[in-house]
Amino acid sequence: MANKIPPFLLAPPTPCSIKQAKGKMRIPFLGRGINRLASVIREGYAQWDFSSQNGFFQKIDARVKILFLLFFILIVTLKRDVLPETYIWVFVFVLTLLSRLSIAKIYKRVLLFGFLFGFLIALPSAFNVITKGDVVLPIATLPRPYNFWIYHVPAEIGITREGIHGVAMLTMRVINSLSLSFLILYTTPFHEIVRALKVLKVPDSFLIIITLCYKYIFLLSKTVEDMHLAKRSRIVRELSPTEAREWVAGRIAFIFRKTRLRCEEVFKAMIGRGFSDTIRFCGFRKMRMLDWGTAVFLFLSGIFFLFI
Amino acid sequence: MHIPDGYLGPQTYIPLYGVSVGFWAIAQKKLKKQLSLKHVPYLAMAAAFSFLIMMFNVPIPGGTTGHAVGAGIIAILLGPWTAVLAVSVVLIIQALLFGDGGITAVGANCFNMAVAMPFVSYGVFKLIKGKARGEVRLAVAAFLSGYLGLVVAALLTAVEFGIQPLIATGADGRPLYAPYPLSVAIPAMALEHLFPFGIVEGLVTMLLLKYFLKHEPDLVYGLSGPSAAKS
Repeated sequence: MANKIPPFLLAPPTPCSIKQAKGKMRIPFLGRGINRLASVIREGYAQWDFSSQNGFFQKIDARVKILFLLFFILIVTLKRDVLPETYIWVFVFVLTLLSRLSIAKIYKRVLLFGFLFGFLIALPSAFNVITKGDVVLPIATLPRPYNFWIYHVPAEIGITREGIHGVAMLTMRVINSLSLSFLILYTTPFHEIVRALKVLKVPDSFLIIITLCYKYIFLLSKTVEDMHLAKRSRIVRELSPTEAREWVAGRIAFIFRKTRLRCEEVFKAMIGRGFSDTIRFCGFRKMRMLDWGTAVFLFLSGIFFLFI
Repeated sequence: MHIPDGYLGPQTYIPLYGVSVGFWAIAQKKLKKQLSLKHVPYLAMAAAFSFLIMMFNVPIPGGTTGHAVGAGIIAILLGPWTAVLAVSVVLIIQALLFGDGGITAVGANCFNMAVAMPFVSYGVFKLIKGKARGEVRLAVAAFLSGYLGLVVAALLTAVEFGIQPLIATGADGRPLYAPYPLSVAIPAMALEHLFPFGIVEGLVTMLLLKYFLKHEPDLVYGLSGPSAAKS
């Protein structure tokens, strides 16, 4: 006799979000979504927390820091040797220490991103298949060189000196650019960074859009995280890919409606407060001696790094 | 697809900043004319929505999951000019706040993902949709618009990488920036975006459009024109 138990209760339960499968950790889409959202919210809080500490760079005017960031990133992209890049890295590291930032937290991210986007992406170019030069580390020897279409594979495959230099350069550039970005990011509240973009003549209306968007993102990230948590706590079996995709589509559509509603509310609030299309950011505070002194010091340091 | 700092030389990233700034100026002028005072909260909302689309992981055939860029569906839902500004704002926030994509490469990233991708997606959608209202044809148009938009953006990124060894070399002939020639950069980028990333983008675009067609077709710019943005 057939039982009357609903089919969803007969399906094998999934007691936790991470399951072991053939030695690999498989994280279902809900868990991944929650992780991504949690990292966005966590980063926002971490940035807010670090930027309110009492370190050296936190005291400096945001305009000085933005110009420093752009000037130094330009220098980093223009340098052609590993040694000057290393000097710049040491300089930024000292500034990070002076700003009392968590070295472990910042450099964990910097080194991870540097490894992924610098070293790993550039690594294949160290081989003589891509970068011609003196082979310093032979890897394999083929009976003869091969040519097909536009590609040439030499008989001796290995890592070249020129290739190693190229990989080291790209890795150092990525690490230095990230170190500079995170130094500014963790010592400056986001709204100050956006406001400081005025020195680059970015229109006020564009800056207010970035500021508003940033606020919407954090408000709505929490909503999206709640949706994921609510869904995960209500399922007793794993969703099929089709069900999961339909759920995702429905939730994105819901977020779309919610953002439109929020837009209407914000617009009405703006009109209610007398908004008349004239967007003007409040003036900056006056530059102090410390700001000017730091600006001159950073400018001269930049000139030094540019010519070494 | 976010290009980090150090991969593009000034000969590439400065002109691409110029091109992106030009598109931003035109987009803002058009939207301000269309939406008047409302364009500020509207664009901020569109940008936040664009960011949040990337937060959703979508299961794809093969058992894995991925997330979409979302520029294609934004172009269909809100119009290509709105997508230009919305996705650009997201890319700027990602570069400044999360270290995703370089600061010198913001212009290039915006050109690839916030200018080329929305226009290609919107153009493909309009072209395939034609005057038809059939659900299947609209679904195919939506899938291909997301898919081809992403593939074109990836190819542009590959070309930007691939021309570096041709235009920026040291005195000894060594590449100063991205080391891969066009013959390596294009196949590498094309393969991973033809599958699986393109599939994810196409699926998200198609699923969302199907959902809106069923529940709120009036909100879709690609079907109703600029009136959808005002409503």
